[in-house]
Amino acid sequence: MNNLFVLGTAFLPIFGAVVALLLVRYDRAKRWLSFLASLAAWACSLVVAIQVFGEGPQTYRMGGYQPPFGIVLVADGLGAFFAFMSATVMMAGLLYAVHCKDKCVSYPAFLPLFLTMETGLNGALLTGDIFSLFVFMELMVLSSVTLVAIADDSLGLEAAIKYLLISGMGTLLLLLGIADLYASFGTLNMADMAQQLVTGERPLLAQGASVMLVCAFLLKSAVFPFHFWQPDFHTTAPTPVHAVLSSVVVKIGIYGIIRLLTLLYRQEAQAIGSLLVVLGLIGVFYGGLTALRTYNGKRLLAYSTIGQIGFILVSMGWGTPLALVAALVYAFNHALVKAALLMVMGLLSSRTDPKSADFADVGGAGTLMPPIIGALWFLGGMALAGVPPMNGFISKLAIVQSGVQVQQWLPLFLAVGAGFITLIYVIRTWQAVFQRKNPDLKLTIKSYGDGVIAPTLLIALCVLLGVYAVPLLHVAELVVQQLADPFVYIDAVRLFGD
Amino acid sequence: MIEVIFAAAIGALFALGVFQLLRRDLIKSAMGFAVLFTAVNLFLLAVGAYRGEASAYTANLEAGLMTSDPLVQALILTAIVVSFGSYALLLGMVYVVSRRYRTADSDEMNNLQN
Repeated sequence: MNNLFVLGTAFLPIFGAVVALLLVRYDRAKRWLSFLASLAAWACSLVVAIQVFGEGPQTYRMGGYQPPFGIVLVADGLGAFFAFMSATVMMAGLLYAVHCKDKCVSYPAFLPLFLTMETGLNGALLTGDIFSLFVFMELMVLSSVTLVAIADDSLGLEAAIKYLLISGMGTLLLLLGIADLYASFGTLNMADMAQQLVTGERPLLAQGASVMLVCAFLLKSAVFPFHFWQPDFHTTAPTPVHAVLSSVVVKIGIYGIIRLLTLLYRQEAQAIGSLLVVLGLIGVFYGGLTALRTYNGKRLLAYSTIGQIGFILVSMGWGTPLALVAALVYAFNHALVKAALLMVMGLLSSRTDPKSADFADVGGAGTLMPPIIGALWFLGGMALAGVPPMNGFISKLAIVQSGVQVQQWLPLFLAVGAGFITLIYVIRTWQAVFQRKNPDLKLTIKSYGDGVIAPTLLIALCVLLGVYAVPLLHVAELVVQQLADPFVYIDAVRLFGD
Repeated sequence: MIEVIFAAAIGALFALGVFQLLRRDLIKSAMGFAVLFTAVNLFLLAVGAYRGEASAYTANLEAGLMTSDPLVQALILTAIVVSFGSYALLLGMVYVVSRRYRTADSDEMNNLQN
C-alpha cells in the first residue's frame, strides 16, 4: 500500500523548487509559488500525521520495489511527528520570505534552495533507508550552506566555509557508520537491520558504528563538543533561513538519535543516554551563560538554541517513556517559539541602518515599532523561558516530571536552575530592545504588516498549545508507545512482502 | 594480501586527508576534504568488493561462483556525486573569500571573532 501523501511531504518542495527556478523574471510569483509548495507539503504532512495516529504507520515504496531491496519512505509516529513540525516551521519561514525585504531573497537561487532544504529535511525524517538518509542530509547541508553564503551579511561566506568543513567531517562519520552497518548486516534498510539485531547476534562493527552515527547526529544538532560552528553560521544567515535553521534543521540530530536509540541500539541506549545527559547539561549551561553575555539579538537566540537543545538531550538521556514524551514536546514547542522570535528580531534588525541585530543598533527599536511586535516578542520570550500560560511551561513541566520520576536529582536541579538563565536573557533583551528609549535611532520606514503574519501565526500556536496542551501531549504519548516496540516499525515496512 | 594493501591505503589516505584538512591554508583544507572523501569511498568499496569470487558484472559466470557485491559500487557512485558537489561548492566559496581578503590563510579571516 503506497501512501502518496508520504511522498508529497518529502518531494513536493523540490518540485516547487524546479518551477521556482523557471520563474526567475517573476519575483512575486516565484515567492508565492514557493510558499504554496511548502503549504502543500505541510498539508500532506498533516494528512500523514492524521493517518499515522489514526490507523498506524504509512509507507511509500519508491519505484514500487519491495523493501529491503528498494528505498522505502516510512512515516511512523516519530517520523510523522517531526515531519509535521518541520513542515509547519518551514511553511512559516517561507511565508516570512514572501514579504522579506532582504536583498538575497530576490536572488534566483534563494527560494529554490530553501525548498530543496525542506526536501532534504523532510526526506531525512521520513526515509527508511539509511543511505538515502545520508543523501537527504547532504542535500539539506549543501542548500543551507549556499543560503548562508549568499546572505546580505558579508560574513556569511566565512561562516558557510567553516560549517561546510565541519559538517563534511560529520558526513564522513555518517558514511563510515553506514558502511560499517552495511558490512555487518548486508542491508541498508533500517527495519531489516533492526530485525536482524532482534533475532541475531550483535556484530562488533555495528557497535562501533553507533559511535560514528551518534557523533554525526550530535554534530548536526550542534551539541557541546561540536557546537563551535553554530552561532556564527546561524547568526549570519538571512532571517527566514535563520528561523528555520535554529528551530527545525538542528532537530535532525535529535530525530536521528531517538531513531538510533529506539530502533537499532536499544541495548546500548542506557550507555549512550548517560552520555547525552552530561552533554546536554554542558550545553544548557554553555548556551545559557554565553547568551547572557551576548549583545546581539540574533546571536543570542543562536546561543539559546544550544541551551534548549541541551534540555531536550537531558530528557532523551533519561530515556523513560515519560522523558521521551517530554523531549518530543520540548522539541516541538521550541521549534515554534524560536522561529517566531527570530522572525520578530529580523523584522526589527532589517529596519535599522546597518541592518544588524547588535543591541547598539537595534536597541530601542521596539519602542518605535507598533505594539504588536513588542507583544509578540514578549509572548515568545515568556514561552522560551517557560512561564505558565505559554507552551514552554508545558515542556519544562514535562521535563521536571520525568526527572522526578527517574529520581535524577542533580541533573534535574541543574536543568531547572539553568531554566532561570533563559528568563534572565529574555528579559534583558526585552529591556534593551523594547523598553529603553534610544533618541539617536532612525528606523527605515517600511510597511511592517506583511512580515508580522508568520510570527503571529506561530505565537498564536504557542499560546494555543500552552492553554490547551492535551492534543500535543497525547500525540507525543502515541509516538512513544510506538517507539517502545521496534516491531511497529519493522512490521510497517513489510520486508519481502508485497 | 590485497586486503592488507587496501586497508593500508585507506588508512594512509585518511591520515593525509585529516592532516590537510587541519592546515591553515583554506585551499589545502579543501583538498584534504576531497582526499578524506576518497578514503571513505574506498572504505565503502572494501566493505563489499572482496566478498565474492567473481567480478560483479560478468557475462560468462562459471557455475557455483559467488559474484562480489555490486551495491557498494552504486553507493560509491552516489557518494562521489555528493562529495563532488560539496567540493565544488567549497572551492567556489574559497575562491570568493580569498579574492575578498587577498589571502587564503584562515587565520587572517577572523572577522567572525568579534
